Amino acid sequence: MTTSTVTRVRRQLPSSPWLFAAPGLLITGVFILYPFVSTVVNAFTDRRTLVPGKFVGLANFRELLHDDMFWIGLRNSALYVVCVVPALVVLPLLLALLVRKNIPGITFFRSAFYTPVVASIVVVGLIWVWLLDERGLVNSLLETVGVGRVGFLSDQWLLLFSAMAVTVWKGLGYYMIIYLAALANVPRELHEAASVDGAGAIRRFLTVTVPAVRSTMVLVAALSSVAAFKVFSEVYLMAGPSGGPAGEDTTLVMLVQRTGTGLTGRVGYASAISLVVFVVTVALMLLVLRADRRDES
Amino acid sequence: MSVSRKTLATAAFLALVLPLSACGSGGDNGGSGDASGKVEGDITFQTWNLRANFRSYFDGVIADFEKQYPGTHVKWIDQPAEGYADKISADAAGGTLPDVVNVSPDLVAPLAKAGLALDLDKAAAKYKKEYLAGAWASHQIPGTTGTYAFPWYLNTGPLFYNKSLFKKAGLDPDSPPKTYDDLFADALTMAHKSDGKVATLANVPTIEDFGRYGVELMNKQGTAFTFNDTKGVQLLSKYKELYDAKALDPQALTATPESSGKKFLTEAVAMNPGSALDLGNFKKQAPNLYKNIGITDQITSTGHVNMYVMGVMVNSRTKRTPAAVAFAHYVTDAEHQMSFARKVAIFPSTAGSLEDPYFTKEDGTDETRVRIAAAKSLKNAVNYTPVLFSDQMKTALRNEVAKALQGKESPKAALDNAVKACDTLLQQQG
Amino acid sequence: MSVLQKARPVSRTEAPREPRVTDEHGRRIRVGELVVRYVLLLAVLALTVGPFLWQLSTSLKGPTEDIFSSPPTFLPGHPTLHNYERVADTIPVWDYALNSLKVAAANVVTNCVGSALAGYALARLRYRGRRVATLVFILAMLVPVEGIIIAQFTTMRELGLNNTLIGVVLPGCVGAMNVLLMRNAFRNLPYEIEEAAYVDGANVWQRFLRVALPSVRGTVAVVAIFAFMGAWDDFLWPLIVLSDPSKFTLTIGLNYLHGTFANDERLVAAGTVIAVAPLIALFACLQRYFFRGVGEGAVKG
Repeated sequence: MTTSTVTRVRRQLPSSPWLFAAPGLLITGVFILYPFVSTVVNAFTDRRTLVPGKFVGLANFRELLHDDMFWIGLRNSALYVVCVVPALVVLPLLLALLVRKNIPGITFFRSAFYTPVVASIVVVGLIWVWLLDERGLVNSLLETVGVGRVGFLSDQWLLLFSAMAVTVWKGLGYYMIIYLAALANVPRELHEAASVDGAGAIRRFLTVTVPAVRSTMVLVAALSSVAAFKVFSEVYLMAGPSGGPAGEDTTLVMLVQRTGTGLTGRVGYASAISLVVFVVTVALMLLVLRADRRDES
Repeated sequence: MSVSRKTLATAAFLALVLPLSACGSGGDNGGSGDASGKVEGDITFQTWNLRANFRSYFDGVIADFEKQYPGTHVKWIDQPAEGYADKISADAAGGTLPDVVNVSPDLVAPLAKAGLALDLDKAAAKYKKEYLAGAWASHQIPGTTGTYAFPWYLNTGPLFYNKSLFKKAGLDPDSPPKTYDDLFADALTMAHKSDGKVATLANVPTIEDFGRYGVELMNKQGTAFTFNDTKGVQLLSKYKELYDAKALDPQALTATPESSGKKFLTEAVAMNPGSALDLGNFKKQAPNLYKNIGITDQITSTGHVNMYVMGVMVNSRTKRTPAAVAFAHYVTDAEHQMSFARKVAIFPSTAGSLEDPYFTKEDGTDETRVRIAAAKSLKNAVNYTPVLFSDQMKTALRNEVAKALQGKESPKAALDNAVKACDTLLQQQG
Repeated sequence: MSVLQKARPVSRTEAPREPRVTDEHGRRIRVGELVVRYVLLLAVLALTVGPFLWQLSTSLKGPTEDIFSSPPTFLPGHPTLHNYERVADTIPVWDYALNSLKVAAANVVTNCVGSALAGYALARLRYRGRRVATLVFILAMLVPVEGIIIAQFTTMRELGLNNTLIGVVLPGCVGAMNVLLMRNAFRNLPYEIEEAAYVDGANVWQRFLRVALPSVRGTVAVVAIFAFMGAWDDFLWPLIVLSDPSKFTLTIGLNYLHGTFANDERLVAAGTVIAVAPLIALFACLQRYFFRGVGEGAVKG
């Protein structure tokens, strides 16, 4: 298509673009960005839930540097990204390859694999807490096969890894669908050429499939890393409001919730943590996008 | 887009949005603190997770009140257990707090400091004598004068223990521990004899445990915490010993009241604090355990058992002060507290009510026995948890205690840190 | 675009004749490979759906049945709806479900309309400030919502919409994520489609309604599902906005269960089944469009 036709198609009534975008912009502005701007302002005050507070400069951020809980939160949120993102980039791709071929009943399997995505995180949390309970199904099974019971919900690290497993479990279906769509665009000839060359399944996967869906992998990495860094519900529901033994499973957003809510909440300090979370997620996003751009060029 | 245009756009956006933030909360014209006018008008009454079980009771109380004071209308709203503090703080910050609110002392403290709770010593002093002195005082806040809520129901309970587990460990099932020394010794025996499979305690010590052990929690002025004294360290060291011996459940660090209750139900833990309410639960869910249930008094070093207090607060900005005060008093007066107590295992905070035959006359059932013992102990019970002890402080203490139990810090260092963190939080509360 | 669409006729006609199973390119799949595939599929199925079935099974077990046994009993010995009756006795399930339905339905409508409009503006229309508008939605997606809930409530109160179902719907009624999904879907449409309409003299609204929108039906289905899920599942925001119990939504109601009967796994299980069943049903109905839609909207970030 030539540029001129594109321009012609894009021409429209003078006021309409803003009319189209107005409802969305208005709602987002009033209910997301405006409250967020007040969060940014609050981050430089000592505001509390019922006390307006005053400007304190960078005091909240200086306090962060000496707050053990902040570093624990940063560690756990970062660890979450490091562990969950590779799993969510690779496993759904393998799953997509598995459900790709149209064998009888495959539509059922695809839908079934998507169910965890549909269920609410609170329900998912309750289900897994019950499954991983000291006397829940998983431990019953482990005991039956002679492994003995495991304290999934009482050990600091097992708790964090269990929460990660739940995040991956809930995310599998979503990213699987994204990969499925991307795989549909991979030309068959590439695979056949590789087969003729005598490449095995694993080599075909690495030399044909992976390069073909590379940009989708970047997208999945971007989406899942932002979500992983902001993780709250899974850990909160499994480790409890105080964040597991000695608070060692606290994530940054849990810390925001814990310090900033309730009648004695330190809104100012919690806002400072929120701001750190925001800056890190923006940085993660930019990092991934830059990697993507480099790939393209 | 060039950088400068981007900056410009951002600036324009901020200019558009920032002026809005100037009009935050406030602007509410506060009602008068005078409760002497005519009792009339519409008021809202908020309770905390009571609708599911006591709907007909409250509907009745409200109907009676409206009949007694024609021209009043009470709207009852009930909130679920979870998120109650979030709900109240949003309402308090947004100026939408109901007229009459069910609160606990730790919720009253910040509301009173923000001037949102009506001082009842001024507005309702004439009712003071109707309540137990200790209960009335439980909604007073160190550093301020005044009382900020009517006392409502009280709760306390015995310690349940599992007689068959005691027997298996070679302990006398008919002489449960009476002192902390007994308790710790029995717990170690239990753990030793069961190879660490049966713990005696399921929860890490909380602030009220320190109080019951006889630790001074705060200084007299209520300006600093003191639970890191020798006694406090002694208690935590003892718990550490129990934890190492598995006499304190290994999962205690992540336990909740529900999970430790479950452990007792399934006979993985030998003792659990509870109330008369739990007996019915045991009967239904664990008939085997119910046959072997032992009931003993709370263990204290002070002679005063712990009690929980619920209160009913009046919003200081209500437009219907006389009606709100009248209703708050109506719900918490002796007659209604007594009828509520007959519905559920709680205890009235009104003077003389605990002398009612319902709380003094045995009828041979366990429920009655537990009720009578609890009522007796309530006469000199104490709400150990300081009203200024916020959720954030509870978390700080819990986490430091966990570090000590895990051996990452000495008990002394852990309590020092906890006191330091709580003092900082206290000062920030202003 | 979609694997499903392309392949459906094949699987329908070929499926009954057992050995001639073919892949998406009509090539035969070897029996050995087929067995391996089904074994793997069943294994993943057990992992993804098993936990829900276990919850369902727990909720159907009567009070006398041991739910902690080892080895576990997967099927209830005497299935009973007793736990569901108790849930209904404790909370007005139907009233709350109706409220949830209203909120969810409103959320679906506003999200589909609002994000389709905004997505079209971001993808197809050219005007000064388009990049800023896009940025607004991207930033909104990154804002940690846990930190802004009280400010949202204050705004809602100033608008006089606290304690209304409208107040519950409003903050999420045009989700930023949904706008970006729609934008990507529109961007992936070839310009030729609209060009024809343009030549016929259709203005921008007509092109949007008659040409562009019908081509992204799948993404609209995705947005609908996300909007429904989001509204149906939310707990903290409705709790904070609503005061009047007659307006409560189902998630708040189910929380009463957790607060009142935390010790009873069977009852909590029944509550979670009530919460999740409508979503699974809705998804089952829309899944055909849905799978197509995720493809359109998300492939190219």
